[in-house]
Amino acid sequence: MSSSARAMNGKRSFKLMIVDDSNIMRRRIERSQQFEELELVGSAANGVDALELFKKTDPDVVTMDLTMPRMDGIECIGRLVALKPAVRILVISALADKATAVEAMEKGANGFLNKPFTDRQLNEAIAELMR
Amino acid sequence: MTFSGTERRRQLVTAGIGTALTLVMGAVLIMGFRLATHMRASINALQTASALQAYPEEISRQINSLRDRLEVRAYSGQALADLQGTVTRFDQDLKQLSASGERSPQLGRALLLWHQYGPVIESVVIFNGQPYVDSDTAGSSLSREGREHYAAVKRAQLFASDNAKALQEQLAALATTLQRNSSDAAAHLRTLLLAGVLAALVLAAAAAYFQLTRSRHERAARDAQEQTRDILKTVREGFFLLDANYRIGSVWSEALTRMFSREDFAGLTFEELLKDLVPSATLATATKYIKLLWGERAHENLMKSINPLGQLEVTMDNGHGGKETRYLQFDFHRVMGTEGIKHVLCAVGDITSSVLLARELQESQENANAQLDMMLGMMHIDPLQLVSFLDTAETGLKLVNTILKDPARTDQEFRKKLAGLFRELHSIKGEASVLNLTSIASRVHALEDMVGECKKKKELSGNDFLPMVLKLDDLLAHLRSVREMAARLTALKDTIPGAAAAAAAVEQRSHKSAPPAGAPERPAVRPVEDLSPALQSMAARLAQDHAKCIKLTLSGLGDVPAPYAATIKDCLIQMLRNAAVHGIEAPEVRRAQSKDDTGVVQVLFHKVTDGYELVFEDDGAGMAPETLKAAAIKKRIITPEEAAGMDTRAAMALIFRPGFSTQQDVSMDAGRGVGMDVVARSVYALGGKIGVSTHPGKFTRFKIVLPSAEAVSTAVA
Repeated sequence: MSSSARAMNGKRSFKLMIVDDSNIMRRRIERSQQFEELELVGSAANGVDALELFKKTDPDVVTMDLTMPRMDGIECIGRLVALKPAVRILVISALADKATAVEAMEKGANGFLNKPFTDRQLNEAIAELMR
Repeated sequence: MTFSGTERRRQLVTAGIGTALTLVMGAVLIMGFRLATHMRASINALQTASALQAYPEEISRQINSLRDRLEVRAYSGQALADLQGTVTRFDQDLKQLSASGERSPQLGRALLLWHQYGPVIESVVIFNGQPYVDSDTAGSSLSREGREHYAAVKRAQLFASDNAKALQEQLAALATTLQRNSSDAAAHLRTLLLAGVLAALVLAAAAAYFQLTRSRHERAARDAQEQTRDILKTVREGFFLLDANYRIGSVWSEALTRMFSREDFAGLTFEELLKDLVPSATLATATKYIKLLWGERAHENLMKSINPLGQLEVTMDNGHGGKETRYLQFDFHRVMGTEGIKHVLCAVGDITSSVLLARELQESQENANAQLDMMLGMMHIDPLQLVSFLDTAETGLKLVNTILKDPARTDQEFRKKLAGLFRELHSIKGEASVLNLTSIASRVHALEDMVGECKKKKELSGNDFLPMVLKLDDLLAHLRSVREMAARLTALKDTIPGAAAAAAAVEQRSHKSAPPAGAPERPAVRPVEDLSPALQSMAARLAQDHAKCIKLTLSGLGDVPAPYAATIKDCLIQMLRNAAVHGIEAPEVRRAQSKDDTGVVQVLFHKVTDGYELVFEDDGAGMAPETLKAAAIKKRIITPEEAAGMDTRAAMALIFRPGFSTQQDVSMDAGRGVGMDVVARSVYALGGKIGVSTHPGKFTRFKIVLPSAEAVSTAVA
């Protein structure tokens, strides 16, 4: 799926970046995801940091909060996709309105998950993302 | 898609079979033609061969005749001429037969024989001289030419006797062969024609079969089309397809016309469809969403989950000149073709009724919750007190109903009605508030508001009272449901031993404290309730609502005789409310005046020589005569001139005038200007007196004197 997707034990491996301004939520996502092939390369608490980290670590999969200080998720999605069109972005947000979801998808997000979510929902959404 | 493929395949098969059969037919016809031509040739040959058979014998016979003629020196010219003719015809016919392409061995052998025979006869037939010496008459001798001719004839005769038979046999055999060939060819032709007929039959059958299946398929297609039309006509959802340019296709279900109140949708873009119906922001989101649907990035479930048109509120003309709000549900499904998304199927449902139903459900849920809250609140109320309240409230509302029905014509009469309604409602509201029955209090408050609105109107008519009647009905219904609930609660309490015992205790105490009315043989008379808990709870609530600290001390209320109970209760509720709203100051105000934060309200009921005395006193702000006068002027209860002529006593009496209030804001507890006039009227009704004394900044004291209860009982009875 991407140039940096590497072969590992015969399986493709993906680099994961988590973007969320809540420390608890970042940990929750990291712990709940059950994919061996996902390797966490970094977490960011706002859009600006996320962009920096993205340039350094070149992740394949990103989970993205929408409401964040400094740079919101929608803008961040646009910038990440501009940097790397093949990146897969899962929006994880408490914003339940459909217009925001459509906006995020338009900017280049690949999936949408509403907070609060169950582990199962998270894993299904990630699996769908990596397909 | 599948259908048209099948159709094309069938057409190909039909064309293939048709071509094959046509080719077969063509081949049969050509072969038949050739065979017929061949047969004609054979028959000609056969005829020739049959004719030829006779020649050798004829030739032999003519040679013999010629020889005989020559031997008897008779005239031989004619015989020779006959032989010449026969030989020439034979030779011609044989050549013709040979030239016709007949290649049978018999003919070959016959030709060979004739080749040997020919020269022999040739020498005979070429003769053209004089066979005899002198003349061609009988009896003459042969000339030299004649002798040679005679020798040739004799050779020919000899040859003929040896070979003529063989030649004839060959020619006969040839005729037989030719005949056999002809009959074979005829048989072939018959077979061929049969095959041709069969092929034609098969072709016809195939054509018929394909025509049949085609018409069957056409019928099926027509049926399918008709069914599709029926489905589109009948289905309740609006269905249409969007193409890659987000335009609606040429087919849509009829429900769509009803939903969007338009006839033609073909070629309309999705944006145009919604343009005038939804806000621009929603339209923009919808357009983006449709674009995302065409991109295959997001799978259908995800797209479904972010569908912004799942419950779309649209405003459209209702066809009667007005606007109407409806809720539409859009569902989108990708229709996949061989090269990705071919169409997007859009299903629109009118979910207005279910949305409204959901709202109703939510409302009724909220109602149920409110009822539950009320029920829980009611559990803290003494059942007897509750029943007493419900009775009073019902009576009060019946009175309200009577007032509403009172005939009135003049504005004055209407205003009088309004004032009466106001007083009654206010009193019911007050009692409901005491018992914390907020659901009732708020409903009465709403009704009171309606009365208040009416009061503001410059002109009144009977129609202004109609909404109040409806509201009153609602209120009475609510009261009934509260009563039902109370009954259920009582039943519930009865099943709990502790509660039952407590209820019994309450009952007993009530009986004890009401000796005049509580006689067992008069169960209809309600026992006197203990007012204290209700008043204390009211005081606490009032203090909380108005951010004040209030301490209520009650004394002697247990001695209130039954006939006075209701009035005393009403009066106390009203006065307590007034004290909490107008009298007791806010803690910071009190502090500034070096008073204790907590205001004290004292109630004392006791027997005096010729009756009873109720003293109600608060250590609040008191009342200044000038303030009272100003308020009364503002309310147009008195004129400024009247006010100028009033002394302190008359000014104090203003508070008992109907419609008087000094409170600016209208609240549940005070400010309506109804209250003390009701108290005063009820006291007067019992033959009592009411007085007020006050000191600004210090206190307000009401004193109510009532005659002895027995006098009232008898008077009432």
